[in-house]
Amino acid sequence: MSAEEADPVREKLEAYVGQSISPPVISPDPVNVPMIRHWVDALDDRNPVYLDEEFARTTRFGGVVAPPAMLQAWSMPRPKIEGIAERGGAPNEMSHDNPIVALDEEGYVGTLATNSELEFMRYLRPGDHLHTRSECESISPRKQTSLGKGYFVTWITTYTTGDGELVGRQLFRVFKFDPSTMGAA
Amino acid sequence: MTRLATESIRGGDVAVGDALPPFALPVTSTVIVAGAIASRDFMPVHHDPDYARAQGAPHMFMNILTTNGYVARFVTDWAGPEAMLKKIAIRLGAPAIPGQALHFSGEVKQKSIEGDECLLELAVAASNELGEHASGTVMLTVPAR
Repeated sequence: MSAEEADPVREKLEAYVGQSISPPVISPDPVNVPMIRHWVDALDDRNPVYLDEEFARTTRFGGVVAPPAMLQAWSMPRPKIEGIAERGGAPNEMSHDNPIVALDEEGYVGTLATNSELEFMRYLRPGDHLHTRSECESISPRKQTSLGKGYFVTWITTYTTGDGELVGRQLFRVFKFDPSTMGAA
Repeated sequence: MTRLATESIRGGDVAVGDALPPFALPVTSTVIVAGAIASRDFMPVHHDPDYARAQGAPHMFMNILTTNGYVARFVTDWAGPEAMLKKIAIRLGAPAIPGQALHFSGEVKQKSIEGDECLLELAVAASNELGEHASGTVMLTVPAR
């Protein structure tokens, strides 16, 4: 494809840049020890600062803290299991107007996650209750890859506590592609 | 060399170019499902092999939250409980699927000491038979001394 080729989809996508990609989320539960224990056991992570209160008090953390990589887990919406496969794995009906849905509608139904960047301002403690916002940061020009033609969509999720303290941030990038254009020049 | 789970490395113990002790995770269906549910990710590609194959994947595969969790564990198993992760930035590649071990590797790329804190930048990667599953950078601080 030449750089000059008109791309009406790309122009339509421009309107999403800087806009929210999903409604703000208040986590179903505050950071809590039972969910930390579930994670620690699932990943067999024996770092004692996650569950051993007596030990954790002797560390820089001053008490137990949540595994930092759990950041996103706290804000995962409660799933509606019935129909989850039919919704492409989405835990809930996606009614929010966002570039992912817009690209699905244009035939760019393939999704491949390409980048995740987690930043931790501080470790979370039991009782922290996360509020989450996600904004579309950028959408690339249409690119031809081995999977087909598509767009790299990047969004940034910010995690704050109830009183507004920024505690974490995640950049997430997916490639939304049209599988029928695989191998097309 | 083994260190107690309660011991932490100090800035003085670390040099640029040091390799982290390699770690091989035997990826099974259980590992993938346990991680997906602990991270509250119910997408069928992370627990339903038939569904994943219908989507064009070779098998059900590990979710990204679990990958990040194992990267974090790989780093803190080495650095110890006083380590504080600042950033995990990864590019995602080949899927992590049952029956193929994930081999984690890491190397210290940068080190700087500011007061009581030592900031480290690591290059990390996790690969299986399909290729590189994840690769990127982890930033963390450990006590300077």
